[in-house]
Amino acid sequence: MGRGYIVEDVVEKYLSNLSVPGASCVTGLLIGQSSSQRDFVVLAVRTPQKDTEGQGSPSVSRGAGNSLEHLDVEWVTEHARQVSRMLPGGMSVIGVFLVTPPELSKEGQNTLRRLIFAVDKHISKGRLWSLTEEDVTEKVTLHICSKTRKVVCRTYDVRDPKSSAKPADWKYQSGVCTSWPLLTCSVGLNLVFPVLEMHVLPQDMEKCMKEGLQTWAKQIEDGLCLINGDAMPGEVELLGGQKKNAKAVQQTFRAQILIPMAEPQSERRLTASVKVCSGSLTLKGMVQCRAYLHSNKPRAKHATEVIKRDVINTVSSRVEMFLEDLLMEGEDKGSVGVQQVLPRRVFAPVPGMSLCVCDYMFPDECVSDVSDRLKEMLDWETPEDSIDTSQEAVPEAPTIDLKNTVVQKNLKAKSTLDARPKTPSEDPTEAHKSHKTYYAGVAMAAAIALLATGTSLIYLSD
Amino acid sequence: MVVGNIILRLRGSLEFKCQLDSTDVPHVQKVISRTFEALGSQVKAESLVLSLSSSPVFLWPNKGGHATAGEISPNRPCKDLQQLIQTDDQESSRKKSAKKDKKNPTAGIINLTLMTEVTEPGVLSAPTLLRGSKKHHLLQTTLPMDCVVSVLSSESISVVCGTLVGALCSQLSDMEKVALRHMKGTALLIPQPFHFLLPAPVGLVTVVYPAGVPDSQLETRRKELHSLFELPDDRPYLRRANALHFPDEPYKDGYLRNPHVHLNHPALENGKPYLVQGVYSYHHYMQDRVDDNGWGCAYRSLQTICSWFQQQGYVERAVPSHKEIQQALVEVGDKQGSFLGSRQWIGSIEVAAVLDQLLGVTSKIMFVSQGNAECFRELANHFLSEGTPIMIGGGVLAHTILGVAWSETTGQIRYLILDPHYTGAEDLQVITEKGWCGWKGPEFWDQNAYYNLCLPQRPKTI
Repeated sequence: MGRGYIVEDVVEKYLSNLSVPGASCVTGLLIGQSSSQRDFVVLAVRTPQKDTEGQGSPSVSRGAGNSLEHLDVEWVTEHARQVSRMLPGGMSVIGVFLVTPPELSKEGQNTLRRLIFAVDKHISKGRLWSLTEEDVTEKVTLHICSKTRKVVCRTYDVRDPKSSAKPADWKYQSGVCTSWPLLTCSVGLNLVFPVLEMHVLPQDMEKCMKEGLQTWAKQIEDGLCLINGDAMPGEVELLGGQKKNAKAVQQTFRAQILIPMAEPQSERRLTASVKVCSGSLTLKGMVQCRAYLHSNKPRAKHATEVIKRDVINTVSSRVEMFLEDLLMEGEDKGSVGVQQVLPRRVFAPVPGMSLCVCDYMFPDECVSDVSDRLKEMLDWETPEDSIDTSQEAVPEAPTIDLKNTVVQKNLKAKSTLDARPKTPSEDPTEAHKSHKTYYAGVAMAAAIALLATGTSLIYLSD
Repeated sequence: MVVGNIILRLRGSLEFKCQLDSTDVPHVQKVISRTFEALGSQVKAESLVLSLSSSPVFLWPNKGGHATAGEISPNRPCKDLQQLIQTDDQESSRKKSAKKDKKNPTAGIINLTLMTEVTEPGVLSAPTLLRGSKKHHLLQTTLPMDCVVSVLSSESISVVCGTLVGALCSQLSDMEKVALRHMKGTALLIPQPFHFLLPAPVGLVTVVYPAGVPDSQLETRRKELHSLFELPDDRPYLRRANALHFPDEPYKDGYLRNPHVHLNHPALENGKPYLVQGVYSYHHYMQDRVDDNGWGCAYRSLQTICSWFQQQGYVERAVPSHKEIQQALVEVGDKQGSFLGSRQWIGSIEVAAVLDQLLGVTSKIMFVSQGNAECFRELANHFLSEGTPIMIGGGVLAHTILGVAWSETTGQIRYLILDPHYTGAEDLQVITEKGWCGWKGPEFWDQNAYYNLCLPQRPKTI
């Protein structure tokens, strides 16, 4: 008895409209949600072309790309990782698809298997929360024959490297996600991570941040979640009040997260611990969080799980992005003692659906960059005015210690600030295969061009 | 305790974290004070949440006492909170503990714990990262907050919330004083709160002591407090061992405390009982994996007496084992070396010798023959002035006397006896129902035997 995938009609349209000339193959991701009973797929996105010249015309074949052997698995997994960052809680990359000519169908199955394991492994890296026993670890692979358009759907348990393919149902339906409940909350951060004496910044910055965030993520995971002000027991159905044939409408739930101020389990001390530190990292501000649940009898415990995971993901994603950017830029000597703004979250609607995806804007970027990224990653056009940048405000003034006279002096000097200098060493056309680089592509070029349009960085002297 | 009052107990851990740029004493003091000040603000923040233990209710004390459960509104009397607490079913079915609750004035206390809401937006802008590079010492610990307030049961919830927050603030202030007073270099002793139930009209007070500093070194402080609360200066009230034991916290060592309080007073016409004061543990045969059945009764009675001195705060040493008791007798020369490891009985003289040697406690020895009724008056006086348990040995048995009662009109006398010959488990019901702790009449005494009584005297100390 296999899994059943309920798929949005638009996905069928997208897949059938994929132009796959001649004998070339196309890979892509399947995005949705899995619950214990059923699985839902709401989006399909093809893997973008590596060549920026070919951008916008998916039909350009890359010559050697005809054979499956030349398929760049790393490229596909990197795309999956970037896309994962754009998905709010509840939604994730739950599968991959592959379009091949009929003669490559058999080999295609092996490729799909390789791909799904590699994709899952790559997107789970750096994850700060842990899977529970209730999490579904079956991911779907979809093979489409370019000539007959026949669809073969199979699943693999990505937890078991030896698992074999299991057949699954693939059924198209309209309005799959119209009544998916939405959970929202905004989480305040005020975290100070010590940089112990043995660590050296900036090399160990990632390590220090990771350790600190791990502790914070555990607190969030263990915290209590109220939904619409109520501490619901886990098994209570979220959509319990709805009548069976009532018009499907999306409900929004407000989440609140409470963390107990309890003594840690470690042995009782008599004195405060003393650590010698060479510095500190302070993370302050508010993050806007969103998560979607499916409409198949979701319970309160699923709701608290998806929103908490989104909280943890959004913070770790933007810290990762910031550090990646720093690595690419090269260390800016002036950045010590400087309060740097992390990328802020913006939301964009999915065409034809009541769902949103998100993106992160660096301080020197603008809405058109987001729009370009959405086109590149998710393969759809987004009108710029539909992108919501209002959820997270840009910090206008330093948010710490306004009593500090040094800060006051710098506030006056703010008008003479320059843009953050960037090393123009990157070649925008040098589309990277490396894991570490932020998949910038066109966006990178645009960012450099937009240096002059002002920043929101605030400088504080030591 | 005032009738018509409710006791609320609020506990939690506040994270204490500060950066010391130098170990210069004035600087350290300034930073510590500033950190306490910041904690004070944290406690008054809107993000503070109180969780009502064993219930789904959460209160926001700094938002006027707003609560999660719909039926609780801020102007309801605080006694309504008690109805929402899910009590343990087992407890309410035991009639004996219900009786105990009536006698125990701190029964029915409302327990609350501290939480913080991370979704409470304090700072509204997108997150920033600040890198500090100053070398410093990081001082880190958690402060064990433990506040108890007594309020009218008709007082509104919003007012009670204010009282609790006020209690937290004043406890922080007490903790700051203690921390600064006992600080050495960068070693910060953790301030710990203790609650004491002082005789009327003082009632419940909370005192903060530094962890790791023994009672013997805190005498000056206690003298100040004794004079402040107008307490007699010859017996301890404010040693750590005197701290109030809350009824809902089980003793970790497993011994029963004061089994006699569960008994009915003897049915004597015009009878007035004279009882042991304070708290003792019931020690008897077969405990601590020592098989002393048939020979250890006086040792057990001695252990009961030692437990009394420990729990009233006169001594800090644990109750001595049979080995330690024998060792003490050899040390004072009362017994030869061959006594060690033997199963020899001891009498009231030896008990007095051990109390002196190990605890520094002197005792009065009383000889009684043929159940002399007049000794009753002496015993009654002893319980009034000293209130310590009495060891009685004679013939072939040793027991502990915990009280006497005498009828003015009929001349009948009863003795409250704690029997160390019990070999069973710490089952309160069995012990009280089968008379292992019970009131006995004169027939209890062997008319032909001579009895020696050891009456331990309270040392004059605070």
